[in-house]
Amino acid sequence: MNNYLSHFTLSKNSGSYSDSDSDDDVSPRERDQESSKGFKDFCVKNIRYATIGRREIEIAEQEMPALISLRKRASQDKPLKGAHIVGCTHLTAQAAVLIETLVMLGAKVRWCACNIFSTQNEVAAALAENGVPVYAWKGEGEQDFWWCIEKCVAEDGWKPNLILDDGGDATHFMLKYHPAVFKKIGGIVEESVTGVHRLYQLSKTGKLCVPAMNVNDSVTKQKFDNLYSCRESILDGLKRTTDVMFGGKSVSVCGYGEVGKGCAAALKGMGAIVTVTEIDPICALQACMDGFRVQTIEDIADTADVFITCTGNRNVITRKHMDKMKNGAVVANMGHSNTEIEVSSLKTKDLVWEKVRSQVDHIIWQDGKRIVLLAEGRLLNYSCSSVPSFVLSVTACTQALALIEMFNAPEGRYKQDVYLLPKKMDEYVASLHLPQFNAHLTELSDDQAKYLGLQKSGPFKPAYYRY
Amino acid sequence: MQNTQEANQMTEGQKSQTARTASRGLEPRCVPAAFHQLPSGDHPVPVKSRRQRNGRARSRSDSNSSNESLSTSSSYSDSDSEDELSPKEKQQVTVNGFSDFCVRNIKYSQIGRREIEIAEQEMPALMSLRKRAAGDKPLNGARIVGCTHVTAQAAVLVETLIELGAQVRWCACNIFSTQNEVAAALAEAGIPIFAWKGEGEEEFWWCIEKCVANSSWEPNLILDDGGDATHFMLRHHPQLFKKIIGIVEESVTGVHRLYQLSKTGKLVVPAMNVNDSVTKQKFDNLYSCRESILDGLKRTTDIMFGGKQILICGYGEVGKGCSAALKGMGSVVYVTEIDPICALQACMDGFRVVTVDEVVSTVDVFITCTGNRNVLTRPLMDKMKNGAVVANMGHSNTEIEVAALKTSDLVWENIRSQVDHIIWPDGKRIVLLAEGRLLNYSCSSVPSFVLSVTSCTQALALIEMFNAPNGRYKHDVYLLPKKMDEYVASLHLPQFNAHLTELSDEQAKYLGLNKSGPFKPAYYRY
Repeated sequence: MNNYLSHFTLSKNSGSYSDSDSDDDVSPRERDQESSKGFKDFCVKNIRYATIGRREIEIAEQEMPALISLRKRASQDKPLKGAHIVGCTHLTAQAAVLIETLVMLGAKVRWCACNIFSTQNEVAAALAENGVPVYAWKGEGEQDFWWCIEKCVAEDGWKPNLILDDGGDATHFMLKYHPAVFKKIGGIVEESVTGVHRLYQLSKTGKLCVPAMNVNDSVTKQKFDNLYSCRESILDGLKRTTDVMFGGKSVSVCGYGEVGKGCAAALKGMGAIVTVTEIDPICALQACMDGFRVQTIEDIADTADVFITCTGNRNVITRKHMDKMKNGAVVANMGHSNTEIEVSSLKTKDLVWEKVRSQVDHIIWQDGKRIVLLAEGRLLNYSCSSVPSFVLSVTACTQALALIEMFNAPEGRYKQDVYLLPKKMDEYVASLHLPQFNAHLTELSDDQAKYLGLQKSGPFKPAYYRY
Repeated sequence: MQNTQEANQMTEGQKSQTARTASRGLEPRCVPAAFHQLPSGDHPVPVKSRRQRNGRARSRSDSNSSNESLSTSSSYSDSDSEDELSPKEKQQVTVNGFSDFCVRNIKYSQIGRREIEIAEQEMPALMSLRKRAAGDKPLNGARIVGCTHVTAQAAVLVETLIELGAQVRWCACNIFSTQNEVAAALAEAGIPIFAWKGEGEEEFWWCIEKCVANSSWEPNLILDDGGDATHFMLRHHPQLFKKIIGIVEESVTGVHRLYQLSKTGKLVVPAMNVNDSVTKQKFDNLYSCRESILDGLKRTTDIMFGGKQILICGYGEVGKGCSAALKGMGSVVYVTEIDPICALQACMDGFRVVTVDEVVSTVDVFITCTGNRNVLTRPLMDKMKNGAVVANMGHSNTEIEVAALKTSDLVWENIRSQVDHIIWPDGKRIVLLAEGRLLNYSCSSVPSFVLSVTSCTQALALIEMFNAPNGRYKHDVYLLPKKMDEYVASLHLPQFNAHLTELSDEQAKYLGLNKSGPFKPAYYRY
């Protein structure tokens, strides 16, 4: 057991301690578990993992100074007193720090997972042990997934007034099956691209009857989470899976948004020769000015060593492209959804799949050529690497503040629309993270503030400023 | 006045371009005797140093090296015995008998034409725009009052607008920035241009008047840089102003003034804010500073960057560009910031965020780019170490408290053009560049390619405003539509041999996008 603990990382790869359990075959739904204090309103893989989970959470807390700081600053005010939050996110140690912060700020919560594989069972156990109603385990079936959401949305005596969603599943479930409950929601905070897309569609058709906050497009999420977490995890993800040497490799990064920028920068720093593909001329011009050739996949399919997709699009790398790739080419996806690489087209009779390591497959053509596919085209950093807690701290803090904002806003302040965070909040989130770097912010003098037409406490930039 | 200082900033850059041309053997090396004595309208310096400066210029012009005289004060068109006479008093005529213009000397037009041709090579987007739109003539019927710096790059823009069908009347937005030979070339081409280097204040407004109100001229568009033409017309010709259908404003200052007008309800004409378009902010500000910071510092001081401790005040686009360039050369870069978001970006990019106080006595080079005033004050400069270099990359010259250095206890020594030593009583000296004015305009150059991005944006903004259906734009200040930003960017890709990928129908549907853009939501930050 000690060996497991010493190698236990914050990664969400398949080497999770709580995988290896003889109880695996029994669905947690069938089991009657209770915490050491007799609390039973939860459903996790195994409550016994709580102690290990607690240690994971404590490690994450070290790297998430903003949330801890928020707890200290706001614990007197209890700005979320009376808030009843339905939470549907990845259940990880970092999310747990957020959840416990919300509880300390006065909220009541019911939490479930937004993804059937991403739950860290020990973390879920630790939360349950702490009296938080959590319904999540790794390897949920589809029915289990919706059952968990139901338990968080509609439970006797539970009147939720806020939703914290990642992907929009909880929101749409409630809208569809419990519309009366949905009408009483005071605000939705949505974190992901997909969820935001769905909210905008609802809003366009006039069906959004509740105000929503789009955290995905806040400055802090876009410019920090997307950019830096990918910059940190692309090298790690590729190394852990393939041990590839980066220097001199020809790498094609498809898409030059925040994720693409992060990946390209990291790979360039290691001496890789990076080319970029883009559909958007502005991003393409940025890539050019940053020193990357902009080409089409067709141009380089037969010469690049590594292909990374991060476009948000589908079928960026198709079977035809992969037919042309050279022997040993590595193909990986850093984008949110797993449709960027046309994986299904590789499951034909003429190709042979060989599993080499966890998350690493060789696909072998008839002439013996093989390509290396990582994580079956799913999001690389969640499958094969980790996302730095510090970066997640920025996002989690933004979500917490968004919830506080929506909950405390005066009546009618937010209408039935999708909002972006007020800039002062973005700035506040950023300022909570500066002490970690021992960074010292400069303050404007009265004279300077007047000259610039700004308040000393911000906001410091106009709404359209792009950072 | 701001304009004067800005003008000084333009002086060196523009002169240097001309001098560079001269050194390429396009014109004979011998220069008239009057050359070395004439003032360049530059900042006041002790007499000794002016001679010194020209002496240095002389020795540099003897060398064959390519970095010959880029920071000297020699512009070919300065050396003219007719300099004493104001161009207003001279009746000049082009080869074709055209006389509706006022420039320093029409004889310079050939040199000016060559300068313009060089600029055209690096401004592919405007050339491309000419070809693509020449058939349509999207500016047919447009009558544009233009008030910008009159440089070779601006000339390419002016001539593009004409090829797209517009009629123009042009003047300078700055009394010192005009390249006389370029103005002459434009006049020779039959363009009504009223601009010369070293205008007096009265002359400045006279030129604007000639462009705004001239017999039967009824302008319908304004292209402004700084807002002077706009406000002149508003104030002195309000009837004419009402007939304007659109203003395109390029600078921070001009935009600020437009927003103020708008707030007080006095803006009766729609205006386009080019300064805050994606292309201007993310390309012009970022990359031109990244390109010119090293150049500006090297040309003036020849310092070695590796291992130097450099403090960048401000981490906006300019600060980001400077930090990246200096880091790439092995400098140890620190950043100061008031905005926590930009501060966090600096941290994540690997720069310590400090206050000026903390590092003032140990840092080797100080660069200001905050947009603020009095960032480096006298008390701070008192603490700097011997040999510290102080320079400003920000728009206005109030970032460094230069006035506070003109006290009787400090001695100023002019070392080279744009380089001063300021010496404390104990012998400590700091090196001040360009007297705290914008470094890249005074001591370096702005790459034509980057200006191409901005000019192209201006051209498209004019086309957009002119062709917009009635009522599309109200009395407000607008940002460019994203599709236009994207179009500007796409016109520059061929220069890099960049190949854009096109969405398939299926992908376009999946993403909910048009194949031809816009590709991002309005709030996307790039």
